[in-house]
Amino acid sequence: MEEKSFGEKLLGVWNTRTIVTVAIGAALFGVLMNYGSIPIFTNTSLTTAMIVPVVVGAMFGPVPAAVAAGVGNTIADLIGGWGMYPAWSIANAVASLFIGALPLYGAYITEGKFDVKHMIIYVVCVIIGNAIAFGVVAQVLTVVFEGGDMNVSLLQGVYASVGNILVECVIGIPVIKLLANRYASRTNLTEEN
Amino acid sequence: MKEPIIEFKDFSFRYKTQKNPTLHDINLKIYPGEKILILGASGSGKSTLCNCINGLIPFSFEGEIKGSCIVNNTETKKSSIFKLSNTVGTVLQDSDAQFVGLTVAEDVAFVMENDVMPRSDMLPFIDKNLNMVGMREFVDHVPFQLSGGQKQKVAIAGVFGNHVQVLIFDEPLASLDPQMGMTAVALIDDLCRSEEKTVIVIEHRLEDMLYRSVDRIILMGEGTIQADVTPDELLKSDLLKTYGIREPLYLTAMKYAGCDLDSVKNLSDLNSLELSGENTAKLKNFFTEEREPVIEEKHEPVLRFEHVSFNYDGGRNVLEDINLEIYKGERVAIIGKNGAGKSTAAKLICGTIRPTEGKIYLNGTDESGMTIKEIGENVGYVMQDPNTMIVKDIIKDEVGLALTLRKKPQEYIDEKVNKALETCGLYKMRNWPVDSVSYGQKKRVTVAAMMALEPDILILDEPTAGQDYKSYTDIMNFVNTLNKEYGKTILFITHDMHLAIENTDRAIVFADGKMIRSDKVFTVLSDEETIRKAHLKQTSLYTLAVRLGIDPEMAIRHFIEYERTVKTHE
Amino acid sequence: MNNRFVINYTPGPTFLHKLTGFTKVALFMVMTAAIISTFDIRILIPLLLINVAEVISMKPNYKPITIMFLITFVTVTLIGNIMLFVVSPAAGLNNVGAEHILWQSGRFYLSKEFLWYIFVVFVKRTASFASVMAFALATTPSEFASGLNKCGFPYKVCTIVSLAYRTIPDIANDFINIRNSMMMRGLELTGKKVSLWKKLKNTVILLVPMIFTAFGKVGNIANAMDLRGYGKNKKRTWYAEHDASKGDRIIRILTVVLLLLTIYYVVMYRFINPWPAKFWCPWLQPDEIQHINVFDTLFFMKWFKK
Repeated sequence: MEEKSFGEKLLGVWNTRTIVTVAIGAALFGVLMNYGSIPIFTNTSLTTAMIVPVVVGAMFGPVPAAVAAGVGNTIADLIGGWGMYPAWSIANAVASLFIGALPLYGAYITEGKFDVKHMIIYVVCVIIGNAIAFGVVAQVLTVVFEGGDMNVSLLQGVYASVGNILVECVIGIPVIKLLANRYASRTNLTEEN
Repeated sequence: MKEPIIEFKDFSFRYKTQKNPTLHDINLKIYPGEKILILGASGSGKSTLCNCINGLIPFSFEGEIKGSCIVNNTETKKSSIFKLSNTVGTVLQDSDAQFVGLTVAEDVAFVMENDVMPRSDMLPFIDKNLNMVGMREFVDHVPFQLSGGQKQKVAIAGVFGNHVQVLIFDEPLASLDPQMGMTAVALIDDLCRSEEKTVIVIEHRLEDMLYRSVDRIILMGEGTIQADVTPDELLKSDLLKTYGIREPLYLTAMKYAGCDLDSVKNLSDLNSLELSGENTAKLKNFFTEEREPVIEEKHEPVLRFEHVSFNYDGGRNVLEDINLEIYKGERVAIIGKNGAGKSTAAKLICGTIRPTEGKIYLNGTDESGMTIKEIGENVGYVMQDPNTMIVKDIIKDEVGLALTLRKKPQEYIDEKVNKALETCGLYKMRNWPVDSVSYGQKKRVTVAAMMALEPDILILDEPTAGQDYKSYTDIMNFVNTLNKEYGKTILFITHDMHLAIENTDRAIVFADGKMIRSDKVFTVLSDEETIRKAHLKQTSLYTLAVRLGIDPEMAIRHFIEYERTVKTHE
Repeated sequence: MNNRFVINYTPGPTFLHKLTGFTKVALFMVMTAAIISTFDIRILIPLLLINVAEVISMKPNYKPITIMFLITFVTVTLIGNIMLFVVSPAAGLNNVGAEHILWQSGRFYLSKEFLWYIFVVFVKRTASFASVMAFALATTPSEFASGLNKCGFPYKVCTIVSLAYRTIPDIANDFINIRNSMMMRGLELTGKKVSLWKKLKNTVILLVPMIFTAFGKVGNIANAMDLRGYGKNKKRTWYAEHDASKGDRIIRILTVVLLLLTIYYVVMYRFINPWPAKFWCPWLQPDEIQHINVFDTLFFMKWFKK
């Protein structure tokens, strides 16, 4: 496989295949937001949708991952009937830039590459991404555009970040591991008795 | 002689990711207006060949081309996928994937939108193209309202741009019910004959394609052209067997009867083939000769539907007042067109949806008191596409998943898993990654995963869809072993009439939410009304029997009985 | 799929439904900008009414909209305001600029301005909810895509939107089937007896085949698009973008007027002659208002001060 430039790894190569992947990612995000949530208690749930930017990112880089999450979240809000939270859609897209950055540090899961080093970088990215997205971006947007109170918004941000980090690590890492194992092509198979 | 519109000269192609060429030594000329059928088993190179014509090779799939491929006087590798799409229209196998628009009109307009055609210019073309395929009244329909056959017609209208001269159909019959398949074959023929297009069809269902005449058949095998012959020549040779293509049923019957095929004129067209007196006598004898009937043992029912109705949220009944019994060790085909209620019935058996009215008994116990998990221990449901079921990366772990989830002790899991793996002939591969085996073997893995729970009933949803004859035979032999040696009750949800004839004891037919028939396969397949209502079609045995003036039901029954004795002696 | 769907795949019969995608997208964007630009109830109320009228004019199925509104109301307004009362009782002072205390108990208190603040925020949120609803009800996904493209977004981004809508029902279907088959194999995803940890672990089992199935469709769809010339040119036209009618021209003019008014308002009342507090309040005079730095309102700031 040819080595891609840094810019290509970051922005992705926008051919038809990328567009279809991002679109399907967005659709899957929308479906998982609506059907794939794990309820904790009333009105609160962990969503598994954030696994989508991980996969799209692994295939095409962070920007396609962010687009998939942003479009997916907006669509999910529109079809799902859980309400409209545009600030959170944007925050999710920003978080996805970090979560979907796997190819930037060499974790090509479609080639079966995901080891302990990648896992640690992934966790760090997840934490930083969520902190920036829900600690800063979502807050600024809520306060400036929606007139929300910064204290409340910040608490919600901390809460959402913790939930997301939990999902992205506890579910994310085993899923990436399984995907990487399944994508890895293996040779020298022998029949055993 | 006209100039060929497509010409391959000493052509070969190797995918970038592969060591050896997928196509080699291809020399082929196709002339304008011809109707060509490309036959071949999976991996024979037939799809690759067509992708070389439409430009997906080399523009979407990278690789190395040697020799030349000329389409409409242009060397393809010097052209582009866009230029080629003006000449060549391709209808892909998966008509769902092909449908990219959100309405019928939009999907047909897709090619014109990409051509930056103003909207006002599009309208007459959309109208004309939809009219040609008989879909004009569906112009505003969304894809989810259409059947597989309708989607395919839209797909045809959608590739029919301005100047398209060649139409390629990649396995057009794969996901259609028998009647829709027949309509598709007729439509393809009309496009070729009246619109004067060159048509190339990739299929392995020879019998269905011969419903309308084909000019030439290209038989692919091992990456190259093995034969370039007329249909009659092909049927008289033994190439079909060599290259893993199923021969038409009537031909099998003629062979069983010991007919002399070389003397038969128009062998490829059942309606006009000329039978000599000797051949007629042999066939009549074969179809009427009494044989030892298959002994039937009555067992206790494992599954019983009692006045079962179902609807979603109080809407129209999807299933209405169904009463049926399935006996232990039976092999049953559940037949009917899409939306007739057969998958709903399967979901009801599995407990993923529950009857609105009525009761379902599993081994005599009312299912309404059982959880999905409990039902899952008695009923194994195998989905059509194994990829929708496989989770783990190692075969052994995948097979043991259901037991691991039930927190069984490790020794118990190992014992059951090993047994299931042995039953399914996968034991030697138990430590292999799931993705390193073929599609057919993956299918086995999913069946083995069900077998680990030792269910009484296995439901197989379209087990042979998208598979060539060899893979089909492998799977069916395997399923029959499960039935005969392990006494499993098998339910097939299927469109495939060959499957029903060769591998089941009874057919249950659904139409419009009602169970319209439950009888022996040969009785169902010789009843015109059932055939019409359930979107089936008469088999070529039926047509042959009618031509000979024999009762079709008897002819099909004798054929089945003969075939089973042949198979058991093999 | 379910009756919570608001989006229509086929255009409806009313005036707003019949507008072109471009008109609808442009109106929606300007409307959103107008609602975002102000915290002044004198402007928010008319904007709310316009959007509510739009929704009513389309004679929608009110059930999903009501459910959606109630959920938003409960999660954001109700819970949000209880939190606000606990964490930030000074929100009235911070945003409106004064405090007339109505009730007090220990460190908790309620002021007239606090109530005014939550009322205005509620109106603003409801107005934007109504505008989203009006847009979602009026626009088919294809019109959305073509309208976005006409507004200057690259068409490749716009196709992502329409393609995502195209595949959602298929993927939802796959999801339900995969979930059912996994449940038969003994996967527990719901139920009170199942611990959160186990639910998380079991979700992994569900996601892997889902991801393989969903992304497994990419190759075929991309081929189908390539074979029909997708990406051939720098531009493309849209079947969904039909010719503009008289109604479109009127709405487009009104949209431009709304845009100009918004710009005028922002320039005049937020830069040249701004109200001293973030929120306008009927019973306060400009000289009564204290100016509070937003960052001083954060609850942890006091930890840094002596």
